[in-house]
Amino acid sequence: MTGPVLVVGGGPAGLAAAEALSGVGRNAVLVEKEDRLGGAPILSGYAKLVPTGEWAKDAIGGMAARVEADAAVDVRTGCTVKEFGGEPGAFTATLSDGSTVEAPAAILCTGFTHFDSVNKPEWGFGSFPDVVTTTQVEQMISSGQGVRCPSDGRTPKRVAILLCVGSRDRQIGREWCSKICCTVSANIAMEIREELPDCHVYIYYMDIRTFGLYETSYYWRSQEEFKVKYIKARIAEVTSDGERLIVKGEDTLVKRPITIPFDMVVHAIGMDPNVDNLLLSSIFGVELEPHGNIARQSAYGGMGRTSRPGVFVAGAATGPETIDDSIAQANAAAIAALGAGRAATGPKAARKAA
Amino acid sequence: MPIHEQSLIRPENIRTHDELVLDGIDVSGHWSTFIEPRVVTDYNEALEDEIAALPGGENIHRCWQCGSCTNSCTVNAVNPDFNPRYWIYLIRMGMESELLRDRDIIWQCVSCNKCTYACPRDVEPEGVMKATAHWLEKKGHTPKSPSIIFDEIFADQVIARGKIEESSIIRKFLKRTGQPLMQDWLIAMARGLLMKLPVGLMRRMGLAMLFRPRTAGWSKARAALEEYVEECEREQRRALGLGNGKPE
Repeated sequence: MTGPVLVVGGGPAGLAAAEALSGVGRNAVLVEKEDRLGGAPILSGYAKLVPTGEWAKDAIGGMAARVEADAAVDVRTGCTVKEFGGEPGAFTATLSDGSTVEAPAAILCTGFTHFDSVNKPEWGFGSFPDVVTTTQVEQMISSGQGVRCPSDGRTPKRVAILLCVGSRDRQIGREWCSKICCTVSANIAMEIREELPDCHVYIYYMDIRTFGLYETSYYWRSQEEFKVKYIKARIAEVTSDGERLIVKGEDTLVKRPITIPFDMVVHAIGMDPNVDNLLLSSIFGVELEPHGNIARQSAYGGMGRTSRPGVFVAGAATGPETIDDSIAQANAAAIAALGAGRAATGPKAARKAA
Repeated sequence: MPIHEQSLIRPENIRTHDELVLDGIDVSGHWSTFIEPRVVTDYNEALEDEIAALPGGENIHRCWQCGSCTNSCTVNAVNPDFNPRYWIYLIRMGMESELLRDRDIIWQCVSCNKCTYACPRDVEPEGVMKATAHWLEKKGHTPKSPSIIFDEIFADQVIARGKIEESSIIRKFLKRTGQPLMQDWLIAMARGLLMKLPVGLMRRMGLAMLFRPRTAGWSKARAALEEYVEECEREQRRALGLGNGKPE
């Protein structure tokens, strides 16, 4: 097997795959449709990342800078793959700029699409300017502007974060848990309390899924150190009395309806399959799983295999995923891609051949 | 007309009017029955901090609402309305008016501490119940309970003299709780003492009743204790937003 490995997508997974390939002396061609590298954390302006608290522009921006400076990685931004054919060990990709790339293997790191909150009109996004998404709050923090009500720029005194917006919702065909939003919301709640100590933050939840070690560092830390309140209620609707937002629902632990005024309501938006997945599926000839993500062939051996031999997948292209796990999957996919179409050597293979 | 979910309607929220005219329409009689909304319209954001500022309430923020306290509760077994898990939630979320509805039950905690041993988060619910009962009393929502009155008389005497003299504690307690001094059990006990106590001990008891001796060199300890108690009281009143004045 010779030639560069084709990596599609320049987010955390794609950057990690390219870096891993370069690290073992293999060239890579990195194709990114946007005009710069970094993926969602950079393009959507995330603030401090879970779990280290590093700024996205330092952590992921640093990965992007390393890849851009890497002589072994041929970065093609503003570019997509139009056609993809051939066999494992000898694929040919035609790019949107007309050029072709000969590659023995490809790794799809095509990521996800943020849920669009206008699909849940009862929660007021699009109707009231002070209803925003977690991504918007990330931008308020990362831009240095600070958390302010978009309607008049005032500092909010009370903020509600609604969990599971675009997740775990059969009504809109999204039955999956997006996995990261509970932890991201706890992180954002702490950042709001840090910036605005007089602002009270309430998180409305059905279940809390700050999985693994995040139980202490996000779920309990946000309550014990930052006094964030968690209220078990699925919100019915968000309206306005003309001055403040009115959040209606039922506090299920006390069997009591609630009608509470808030200055700002934040939707903890979920992770949808990439809107381009049907197109990607037909171009690369890979199957999608029932939710619309790129299907993995195995969870144990041969991580990162898709339905097409020689084409691998990593990161949120497979479903809701964290940044650190996306990076780990990208490294696994890079190893798998290196071995694709390559005859086994060594004593065991020699014994088998004899 | 049948009322659905009647169990959710509190009797005090049902309003009836024998004669009522609304917008010129007579709605007297059957149609004058209204149900007040039971909607929570605001949170008291200071409530959790106030309870946490009182002894026993310090760990309330750890609760994750598993219900181990209520399941293990001695009082809950006889009175299902006694629900520590529920009150801890109300306090943490600042639902003060909901909490006040149960002001006449909360003090009933018998401090058996089964919840303390059952709680997986070390909230010490028994302490929270104690703190909540004190909060209710300090805020003027409930009168002082007999046990609080007894504690005060007992503590005052210890601080004043370094020792206690039982007969005066009992007299003061009965007086402050409006009970007659001549109680059958008290008369029986006094009679028993008179008949069976050795003369030497009886003499010492009598002298103590008359002269109320102090522990030797108590004045320094007394000053230190008084200063500390006052400091605690001041701190608690400040935390509860009751001003800096001395307690009544």
